Amino acid sequence: MNSHLDKLRQSIRNGDHKRWRRGAELDILSECEREGLSWVQRSARLTRRMCEAEQVVIEPGERIVFTRTVQDVPGLYRPADWKRLTQGHKLHELGPISNICADWGMVLEQGLLGRRAIAETTRETRASDCEAVEFLDCAVDTIDAVLALADRYARAAREIGRSDVAAVLERVPAHRPRSFHEALQFLRLCHAVLWMSGHYHCGLGRFDQYMWPYLEADLKSGRLDEPGAEALLAEFFISLNKDSDLYPGVQQGDNGQSLMLGGIRRDGTCGVNPLTYMALRVALDVSMIDPKINLRVTPETDVELLALAAKLTQRGLGFPQYSNDAVVIPGLVKAGYDLEDARDYTVAACWEYIIPGKGMEVVNIGAVSLPAAVHKGIVEGLAKGEQFDRILEHVADDIAAQVKTLADAYRQLLLPPAPYYSVFMEGPLETGRDLSLGLGYNNHGIHGAASSSAADALAAVQKMVFEQKQVPRTDLLDALDSNYQGFESLQRELRGHAPKVGNNDDSVDTLLRWLFDQLADSCQSYGDNGRGGRLRPGSGSAMYYVWLAQGHQGMPEPVVGATADGRLQGEFFGANLAPSPRTKVRGPISVLQSYSKLDYTRICNGGPITIELADSVFRDAEAIRRVAMLIRTFAQLGCQQLQLNTLNVDTLQDAKRHPERHKNLIVRVWGWSGYFCELAPEYQDQIVERHMYALGEPTVAVQVKEISRYDSKKHRSCTDHQPSDLDHIRQPDGRHQGQ
Amino acid sequence: MITGSIFDIKEFAVHDGPGIRTTVFLKGCPLRCAWCHNPEGWSSEPQVISSSAGDRTVGQAVRADDLAELLNGQAPILKANEGGVTFSGGEPLMQGRFVVEVINRLEGVHVLLDTSGYADGREFCLVVEHCDLVHFDLKVMDPVLHQRLTGQDNAPILGNLHRLADLGVPYVIRVPLVPGITDTDANLAAIAEALQDLPGLIRVDLLTYNRAAGGKYRGMGMTFKPTWDETETVNANTAHFTDAGLKVSVHGLRMTEGH
Repeated sequence: MNSHLDKLRQSIRNGDHKRWRRGAELDILSECEREGLSWVQRSARLTRRMCEAEQVVIEPGERIVFTRTVQDVPGLYRPADWKRLTQGHKLHELGPISNICADWGMVLEQGLLGRRAIAETTRETRASDCEAVEFLDCAVDTIDAVLALADRYARAAREIGRSDVAAVLERVPAHRPRSFHEALQFLRLCHAVLWMSGHYHCGLGRFDQYMWPYLEADLKSGRLDEPGAEALLAEFFISLNKDSDLYPGVQQGDNGQSLMLGGIRRDGTCGVNPLTYMALRVALDVSMIDPKINLRVTPETDVELLALAAKLTQRGLGFPQYSNDAVVIPGLVKAGYDLEDARDYTVAACWEYIIPGKGMEVVNIGAVSLPAAVHKGIVEGLAKGEQFDRILEHVADDIAAQVKTLADAYRQLLLPPAPYYSVFMEGPLETGRDLSLGLGYNNHGIHGAASSSAADALAAVQKMVFEQKQVPRTDLLDALDSNYQGFESLQRELRGHAPKVGNNDDSVDTLLRWLFDQLADSCQSYGDNGRGGRLRPGSGSAMYYVWLAQGHQGMPEPVVGATADGRLQGEFFGANLAPSPRTKVRGPISVLQSYSKLDYTRICNGGPITIELADSVFRDAEAIRRVAMLIRTFAQLGCQQLQLNTLNVDTLQDAKRHPERHKNLIVRVWGWSGYFCELAPEYQDQIVERHMYALGEPTVAVQVKEISRYDSKKHRSCTDHQPSDLDHIRQPDGRHQGQ
Repeated sequence: MITGSIFDIKEFAVHDGPGIRTTVFLKGCPLRCAWCHNPEGWSSEPQVISSSAGDRTVGQAVRADDLAELLNGQAPILKANEGGVTFSGGEPLMQGRFVVEVINRLEGVHVLLDTSGYADGREFCLVVEHCDLVHFDLKVMDPVLHQRLTGQDNAPILGNLHRLADLGVPYVIRVPLVPGITDTDANLAAIAEALQDLPGLIRVDLLTYNRAAGGKYRGMGMTFKPTWDETETVNANTAHFTDAGLKVSVHGLRMTEGH
């Protein structure tokens, strides 16, 4: 990275650009009320006023401009009106449409004026349809607002003698970019306005696919050489880190600025191009939390490309996250996606698969707590003296009930109109129907959370209670009820000697697969989700690895106490697909083998296998090549998604003690990367613990015939259930309520 | 069925030989190297290690069949990635028959033996003949010093070094560099001299001392007593080897490595 970029990067990390921000909230309520504006009109007005209120900032030397100066996004309704408007409905998270991905390629190709022309044509053909006319006028108004903002930037640039910046903004985003530089500026501005319009978790899609034509033309014509292109790309990546502290999320960094690289094209040919490599190199060079890089791979992907990606993994940024085309695409097809669309998949915010421009999906309507379902089944079955098969039936029933609860709540889903976001999607401008009314795909995603602990608990009961009969039913019931107080040796036995997911042990891996099959069955039999879509099960956990263990205000998902895998009340679950915390495993080969047994074609909502590697693994180029082989092995074994995290426990512990020394320390949290020192303490602790066990003391986990050390007769004491204080996690900033 | 004693199995051991490997750590060692960072590998008996995470028993008896089955389950992956299985320790040659029984059950996997070289000559040859590659330690050439630092005479080790050269199985010599102890120019020169003209030698690896070496002692009720200055930088003087026409490289010594 050259010194200019390094300075820019440092300046953003220091927050120098925040001096331009204005705290005062815009008042758009009064004019909306005075003019009696409808909801969609208010949304468009928001985009317009936010664009108008922006103050032009062009820093010296900056080539890709736009710095947000208006800090807050105002509400569109007074609380009482908002309540009336949304009564009897379900809002998704904060309300506004989020966690989807625009068809950036299409909009770049057409330019905003091209999109505007389509809206105008539709307006003429649908002139008698008041709703369509109103929506299209709103969409056009947002386009005009963005173009006016670009125009102000261009004029200001001319005034200060920055004709280079002016020339770019006189061209884009109005027209199709003529260069890579213009394409990046186009994307930067239009993407930023999405956030200013109240949307969040706005994905960046298949960047190397839609950007390559512009870069290729520049390289061919000699307008740009490779270092020049890399410098521009670096500046673009850095710019994505400017306003991200204003973006809502569960934790800072959870902002969904995900970018996809590689994979096959819509026609089935390999889409890897020079920009795929360049984006990986530049992300390595920039080393900031945004954009979050995803890489699509196949069992045949070039090890050289994987080695470059592994170098990024080595940097400890927590990305790239890898998706296996050979598994994801058939899964999406099976779930009803057209083959060409399935080949065009990207991720929404974290890992959830979505088709750019075609998905108005809500990929995260909640989580099924698999440990809660298993716990309920175990307690009910053991108390009634039933056999293991009956326990499984109870578990299946509870999974179905949890799915129904989540899905039913979303039958009343109210998606606010989104005239600006509609401009970037396939269909709304062509048909006159707002994005919120649906697109080609309208499915709802459900996380199957904390699966390893759930499978471990089932396996423990199957082996210890039923097969070996070494643990009496009442002991286990009492132990679970008392949070293992007075049953410490039973807890050690369950933790240390029951089968665990991650060791390629069929006795527990089969149960893991069974749990996901039940989840898939329940989602399938639920049928239509109320929006012309279906339910999509997945294997992610998001923040539920914390919430399902410790509770969270207002969360409908059940919280479970101590579980039969030996886990104590309140202890975190594993994030996504990972062996339970405190479980010793032999290493990544067995973990991948365990997870290769799932039927991923039935759980296409995504959710990565999460593996922690010690930073000492990456000693030299040869070791990095072996990490590349590990990634290839993940694909060859038929797994779906992989997240490799690299860290040094000593560094993490030092960062807890001396945050001032580790301002730039980046960690992967669940589906996103953030600065370690900016995370809430409980998330910091969970990450430290995760890595301690990843690198922990050596262990033996071969099938060894040995005598149990648990003597049930010694453990008849029973103490009362003692709930611990539930730590509540910081709520997302609520300032976007009321849109 | 023959049973062995192991204290760990570690997958994706990227520093213990070529490709993606799975390393089996065998329990029991005839040496007591003062710098050893795997003291749980010394005794053949199961032991308890205490830590803040609670007590943990290290060392389990495992049948050759079961171990081979586990490793064969990974064989396609190890083979597809230029790797294989590594036997380390402890000293795997203390359980030579067991190691051979396991190797005989493996399905065409590359086998690496990571050894201190301290073993009966016949036992040594018996195991090495079943291996594709050997990592052989040379620590101290001076017999008196060797006796003092490891508790054993180095004559059997040097004898096995020559047997190794005669067997035709390729090998890497690994030298742990402990500041002021094994990294002296006199010792390095003596090692280089001993290796000169030996057939089958691929290269010499100099492994720099890890300051976390003493980490496990307290948990095992033992005391780590370094007689050297742990903060001192080691003398990784490769010239002794390059001058002798030998290939040499320098690496960090890690917690999971044997010896």
